[in-house]
Amino acid sequence: MKLNRRTFLGTGAAATGLIGLNGLPLRAQDRTLNVTAYGGVWERAIRDCFVAPFEAKTGATATVSLGGPAQWLAQVEANPENPPLDVLIMSPDLAVIAAEGDLMDDFTVEKLPNLANIPQEFTDACLGKGTYFDYGVGGITYNKQVVSDAPKSFAAFVDRVASGEFIASVPSIQYGPTTVFFLWALNNALGGTVDNVDPFFEAMAKMKDNLVFWAGPNDFFNHLASGEADLGIYFDGRTWNHVDEGVDWISFINPEEGGAMTAVAIQKPKNASDLAWDYLNEVLAPENQSKFAEILNYGVTNTKVEYSEKLASRVTPLSEANLPPYAEIARVRNDWVDRWNREIGM
Amino acid sequence: MRLTDIALWIFTAAFFIFMILPIAVVVVISFTSAGYASFPVPGWSFKWFARIFEYQPFIDSLWVSLQLAVVATVASCLLGIPAALHLSRARSGWATAITTFLLSPLSMPMIVIGFASLFFLSWLGFGISFAALCIVHTVICLPYVIRTVTAVYRSVPPAYEEAALILGASRLTTFREVTLPLIRPGIAAGCLFSFLTSFDNLPVSYFFGSAQTNTLPVVMLAYMEHQFDPSIAALSSLQLLLAVIALVVAERLYGIEKMTVAT
Repeated sequence: MKLNRRTFLGTGAAATGLIGLNGLPLRAQDRTLNVTAYGGVWERAIRDCFVAPFEAKTGATATVSLGGPAQWLAQVEANPENPPLDVLIMSPDLAVIAAEGDLMDDFTVEKLPNLANIPQEFTDACLGKGTYFDYGVGGITYNKQVVSDAPKSFAAFVDRVASGEFIASVPSIQYGPTTVFFLWALNNALGGTVDNVDPFFEAMAKMKDNLVFWAGPNDFFNHLASGEADLGIYFDGRTWNHVDEGVDWISFINPEEGGAMTAVAIQKPKNASDLAWDYLNEVLAPENQSKFAEILNYGVTNTKVEYSEKLASRVTPLSEANLPPYAEIARVRNDWVDRWNREIGM
Repeated sequence: MRLTDIALWIFTAAFFIFMILPIAVVVVISFTSAGYASFPVPGWSFKWFARIFEYQPFIDSLWVSLQLAVVATVASCLLGIPAALHLSRARSGWATAITTFLLSPLSMPMIVIGFASLFFLSWLGFGISFAALCIVHTVICLPYVIRTVTAVYRSVPPAYEEAALILGASRLTTFREVTLPLIRPGIAAGCLFSFLTSFDNLPVSYFFGSAQTNTLPVVMLAYMEHQFDPSIAALSSLQLLLAVIALVVAERLYGIEKMTVAT
């Protein structure tokens, strides 16, 4: 067919007519649950490990919305009476904000029998309105080809980077979790407190000539791959994911002082479908969490979970990680960011 | 050839390379055989293009993005062309104020428009829906149609339309036979900009994402944050191909030169 203006415009008009406005507002339906997932391998893991058993047991269906916690929380805040999502995956800081805003339902063992096997401190960290189901640890990831003897502690990391022995790639303030898994963790390891972050900023001043900053996790990997950096602050699970994808030259060390636990919370908005409790119980079930951990290379929180030999050697035990005081950090976070911007600037 | 011509030629070539090279690297990486993005590539493979079609959210969101871009472009034309025609000829201060208002989305951070629209449209009952996405995308695409149609229409002497009216043509006939053919390059340029603006938009679409309404940029962002393979590079190469095809079609139908005059 010859392409001319008339056929082009005619086809366009017909296509528009066919499309129509198919969009009625997304609303929770009786037997359909709207759940959330990060993209990529996360989405597959959520579908295989949690959605599939939920659908098999209840006969209901679950749709999976891809995105991120800030997006989902905004959507629930905008529609609190009729939330478009029934289950939220949240970062720990936003989980606290959502709980403080009274947007989420309380988690109890009566509603969620599997909650009995989740350490109480993880539910307390969400103010009782959610719990953690998955966690990673921020530590030292290094290029084995150029770093034969990697620092074993945060203190050694600071000293050896400051001396110029290594160029380190560290997270910039643009990356949301930086204040917790880097600033708080390093400060804590160097003797600081939530109200005294001088040790962290003094260490950064010492290292400043030998630092590069990453704005997103993929930047970190590129820094190491290109030789721009020798080592840096990164996550255990992401490091092992790279290894599984064929990157045989990186490895991870949980610093002796203990890396910061970066957890993933799960919450149910108020007025969301009651079916969400069935789904949440599947998320907390040991057999499902075990499968989830194998796919993602991250630790999970149900104490009944037994990891495979390969994963057990990779996952940082809960006892060797530090649980950051997220609620306290939220109180001073803006001050930390302000000081970072003035003294570091990246 | 004079020395200044040689210097200009070298500068142009260097500038062209500076602009094209990062895009070329992305295209090259999309053909890598490695499981992660690296340059130079260790080997060649089409597997990351195959991965695009294996990962269903890419396909679903591509379809949503295409539908959305078409609807937003058509709605922008239906609203924007009459507005541009009237405002181009109007002389009052109100017309200037309304024009500024209609163009204002260009000067506002998209993330602010997205966040504010989420709450406003939810309050109106649209919630997280394709209809809500269409409304917001029309708001951000509208300025492109108004801007390009206004630019062309202002260069059209009013005498052409007056002559048609004096010779007995109705207003509708005058519009169809005189005005529309003259402003067609402006409409085409506006449509092209609208389509590409909507198709590539992330900050507005982000707030209206759901299992049914996620657009391709939102899914790409979600994927990139937790997956490290080069399928995003492959997808970007396909998007680039789509943009090139759109430009070729525009060139065949209207001529890029006429459209650039409109802008």
